[in-house]
Amino acid sequence: MLGVTFISFLLMVYFGPDKTYELLGKNPTEEQIREVRHELGYDRPFLVRYGDYLRELVTFDLGLSDSNGEPVAAILARTLPVSLALVLPGFVIGNLLGLALGLLAAWYRGKWLDKLVMSASVVGMSISFIVIIIGLQILLCTPYGLNLFPVRGWQVDGPGSYLYYVTVPTLALVLVTLGYNTRFYRAVMAEEIERDHIRTLRAYGASPAEQLFKHVLKNSLVPVLTRIMFSIPFVVISGSLLLESYFGIPGIGLVTFNAITSGDQPILKAVVGLTGILFVVALMINDMLYSLVDPRIARP
Amino acid sequence: MLKIKILLILLVPLMAGGCGQPPATGDVSPAKIYRHAMDGAPGSLDPAQAASIYANFVVVNIYDTLYRYKYLARPYQLQPNLAAAMPEISEDGLEVTIRLRQGVHFINDPAFEDGTGREIKAHDFVYSIKRHFDPVTRAQGAWLWQQRIEGLDRWKAEGSDYDLEVSGLRALDDYTVQIRLTRPFPQLIHTLTQGFAAIVPREAVEKYGQMLASHPVGSGPFMLTSRDSVRVVMVRNPHYRKEPFDLADEGFDHAIHEAWGLQKLQGKSPPFLDQLEIEFINEGAARWNAFSAGEVDFIKVPVSQFDSILSRREPPQLKPELAERFHFEASSESGFIYTNFNMADERIGYHPDPGQDRRNQALRCAMVKAFDWTRSNETFFYKIGRVFPGVLTPAVPEYDAAGDTSYIQRDLEGARQLLAENGWNEETLPVLEYGFPNGVTERQSFEQFRNFMTDAGYPADKIRPLIFATYGDYQRAYSAGKVPLINSSWTMDYPDAENLVQLYYGPNASPGTNSANYNNPEYNRLYEASIAMHESPERTAIYRQMNQLLMEDCASITGISRTLLFMWNKDFAMKPDRSFLGGYFMRFVDLAESLNDAP
Amino acid sequence: MMRETWQRLKSDPYGLSGLIVVSVFFLIASCVWSGLLGQGWYEVSGTRWEGISAEHWFGTNLIGQDILQRTLFGTATAFEVGLTVTICSTLLGTVMGALSGWYNHSWLDEIILWLKGVLDAIPFYLFAAAVAFALQGSPWAMHVAMIVTFWTTTARIIRGEVIRIKQRGFIEAARAIGLPGLKTVFRHVLPNTFHLLLVQASIVFVAAINTEVILSFLGLGIQDGVSWGLMLAESSQEVLAGHFGNFLAAGTALFLLLMGFNLLADALQDALDSRRIVR
Repeated sequence: MLGVTFISFLLMVYFGPDKTYELLGKNPTEEQIREVRHELGYDRPFLVRYGDYLRELVTFDLGLSDSNGEPVAAILARTLPVSLALVLPGFVIGNLLGLALGLLAAWYRGKWLDKLVMSASVVGMSISFIVIIIGLQILLCTPYGLNLFPVRGWQVDGPGSYLYYVTVPTLALVLVTLGYNTRFYRAVMAEEIERDHIRTLRAYGASPAEQLFKHVLKNSLVPVLTRIMFSIPFVVISGSLLLESYFGIPGIGLVTFNAITSGDQPILKAVVGLTGILFVVALMINDMLYSLVDPRIARP
Repeated sequence: MLKIKILLILLVPLMAGGCGQPPATGDVSPAKIYRHAMDGAPGSLDPAQAASIYANFVVVNIYDTLYRYKYLARPYQLQPNLAAAMPEISEDGLEVTIRLRQGVHFINDPAFEDGTGREIKAHDFVYSIKRHFDPVTRAQGAWLWQQRIEGLDRWKAEGSDYDLEVSGLRALDDYTVQIRLTRPFPQLIHTLTQGFAAIVPREAVEKYGQMLASHPVGSGPFMLTSRDSVRVVMVRNPHYRKEPFDLADEGFDHAIHEAWGLQKLQGKSPPFLDQLEIEFINEGAARWNAFSAGEVDFIKVPVSQFDSILSRREPPQLKPELAERFHFEASSESGFIYTNFNMADERIGYHPDPGQDRRNQALRCAMVKAFDWTRSNETFFYKIGRVFPGVLTPAVPEYDAAGDTSYIQRDLEGARQLLAENGWNEETLPVLEYGFPNGVTERQSFEQFRNFMTDAGYPADKIRPLIFATYGDYQRAYSAGKVPLINSSWTMDYPDAENLVQLYYGPNASPGTNSANYNNPEYNRLYEASIAMHESPERTAIYRQMNQLLMEDCASITGISRTLLFMWNKDFAMKPDRSFLGGYFMRFVDLAESLNDAP
Repeated sequence: MMRETWQRLKSDPYGLSGLIVVSVFFLIASCVWSGLLGQGWYEVSGTRWEGISAEHWFGTNLIGQDILQRTLFGTATAFEVGLTVTICSTLLGTVMGALSGWYNHSWLDEIILWLKGVLDAIPFYLFAAAVAFALQGSPWAMHVAMIVTFWTTTARIIRGEVIRIKQRGFIEAARAIGLPGLKTVFRHVLPNTFHLLLVQASIVFVAAINTEVILSFLGLGIQDGVSWGLMLAESSQEVLAGHFGNFLAAGTALFLLLMGFNLLADALQDALDSRRIVR
């Protein structure tokens, strides 16, 4: 955790973007440049700034945005729910669909269905996120395609408008993750299905559903959950960064992107710290899940 | 599997409900809503930090300034806003006395003693200007007044104590402000129309500090209700002063404004809207789609759409099927785009050796000749931008429409000849970096620029991109003299050509606005001689002479003023503006239909 | 072993087609490098947004550059980025992995593991953005960002293998005859992990090309030159106005190359890993 904050602080803040010139008036003097740098705290020693950062993170006193003076905590509180609402459906559907397809492929391993699913997933893996986003936009949001959904924006005030704005980003997210997810889940399931006790079950004539749900899924819960847990911080930050900057959605990704391009360090510091925390939390939850799930894996 | 699906069906609306915005609360449901689209987002809404046109747009709607521009008169004319009348200016031009309207109140806010907005007094204006000279404010407008108002710079040097009086900036009584200048400053009143000069109550600054930037407390026609990174929403300020609209006084002209339904505003008191929304949509295509889908009522048409909306270019005319539904206006921007040579760079600028200095000048002039304005105009501005020689844009009266245009005509032969005559060839030509902040259009401009130069024989690998992740980083680099070719744009701060010619005044060199670091003693002398002058034939002659000097030295490849096309929904009676009037026009926007219904 | 692998690869139609696709692209890239193709990527040779013609097979872009030339040059950019990142990050990962595996449980191992943990915890695009900033102006900023993040998986694999092999006898034997420790690792351990490295390298290659596109799109990519990512970024401003040249050309090229690599990587994995059951 300390490492994450240290390296990210070093890179994002110490060597990071500089807001001085954005805050200067026209025809500034050297003295005014020094003044602004002083106001922004750029002239303080590295360790002092880093110490302040740690204190801010621990006390959750994240300061005010350099761009618009809003408290960073308020910005996060406003944008995080938007990002979650944006990526959650895609994340859930992508994983469930991947799980289902992976299971299907593993079950019919070597049959044509398996080959079809696996070929499709390789195709899916080979399309760049950007291409998917632009392609979907052409197909669904413009007069050159179906023109059903908005090109951009996020004016959600009910389930209807939510679906209206979230559909295209969700589809993009599902498409880009599905290939990877399917392959991963197939590999996990295939290993599980090959295990002796499943074979035994099969030999004893247990119904396929019983085999699948009672044993295969249950036993592969650990790797599946691990993957899901660890991808959460990344999907929330990285996925939303692209989706939100492309679709103009006021979530944490767009805020981060704007902070990068305008040098708004208080926001960058908070986002990096937050992901570090998320990661550690994911790690802890994962450990907990292990201890919860593990004893139940009874090996015959 | 089935269970999961059901769960999902249950989950989706649940999340939607959880994340949606609460419906607008209030006793009256908003009836008249106007949705404006802007191509950028404001940063801070603190007037002292309202440096961008986007921030200015919002700030002048939430706060009050002493002056504004007339709604319809062009060229722009000053009009009292919170001031009761035009200022009284002493003979020598050094003492300016301004009287304020009485009985104008700030909006209600917990910052005030009993939560109700108190009356605005002259000392509020004094306080608001002083804030720019207090480092804690992080203000960006001090450059407008520094070295110009008596005692203000000293006040700052002595520690910015608001209890100390500044001799040149005083409240004579509750409703009278007196400004004493150190030297004549004809543009002073123009600066008082800017968001920078908007009036802020001290109570709010003390209560909210930096957070004032997102929690404005003003007295303008609208009040902020919400903002995020993609929109602001404002509602009408119910206590805004009653000021009946006077067509003639605002510069109404039947020939121009007849079709836009403005006549019916006569005698009504703005603001006319109940709710004002401003959407920030950077990408042109997305902005256009939002407009065509009816999600916004006004748009600055992105260049990529010019093809599809115009039936004619000169003058620009809307296609008939669009003209049925939308009003349309083409106007020249109040600024220009240009590429400066860094004159402080010995590879391309001034050189201590006179021979090399001359050769460098020849190189610059050859590059000016190699630049193809026609093509650039066609590529990026659909051929309707206005190219002009030098720094005097077509928007100012000093522009010489009949002047010599050879400076902006491409002359490849001349460029090659100039290079050859001065011993420039593939080996001797220097490697030059062309700087730009990251962006698709910026990169395209660079690649086109490089092509123009290679056409004249400049080796392609000797013109290199220097890309910066943020605009601020780019600014820092060229201010430090690290960029020989500086691609920039300038937006005028007030409608006076002084704001253009100061761009090449020697003492304004980096980190000032003179990024070319141009320093011609003759030019400087002429500028200083004209500083106290108002617009006049005499001053025009001087400015044109300065323009000529600039072109002889080939200090910049300049320039083009973009033609902006505006379209707006016919449901609204309005005349939009994006330059000096800017956000001030919004108080005059009304629904055309409601005007017809009015008795 | 190589021979056997080749035999298996040859009998796998997917893998073979992947290999062919990658080879064709590599050939194009080589031609660009040697100056035979795509040299006119920066030249303005037409008017704006020309359609498909004999002169401009894929049309032209906004400023009148030939999209075909740019696509071809973009191939070289993709390989340049892919190869640089793959080679450097594999080398870095191998060295780090070998060190931490060999000095298992020592302070060196701890530090390397800690570094890996930290790097894995920072979201990649944020990290890349940060590196790009720190090295602003350097044409290698993007490469460095990728190299310093991509080595971790390779290192993990190598570390595991080194520990595994170390526990087996023959390193002990080498030691007994007086070969110094680390040298032994490179002599004996690495050849045994070659197949793992190869598969991992192909995965890194795909990731590098993919990432270049996204970073270029976000404006953190290459400086001079043209890449598919830059073309896609350009296209995002054009498609809504109905100009698809950049999008189709760069999108298709990118898809084909990634597809080729994915197929090849799969086939390699199948061919090299005898444990896996052939499809």
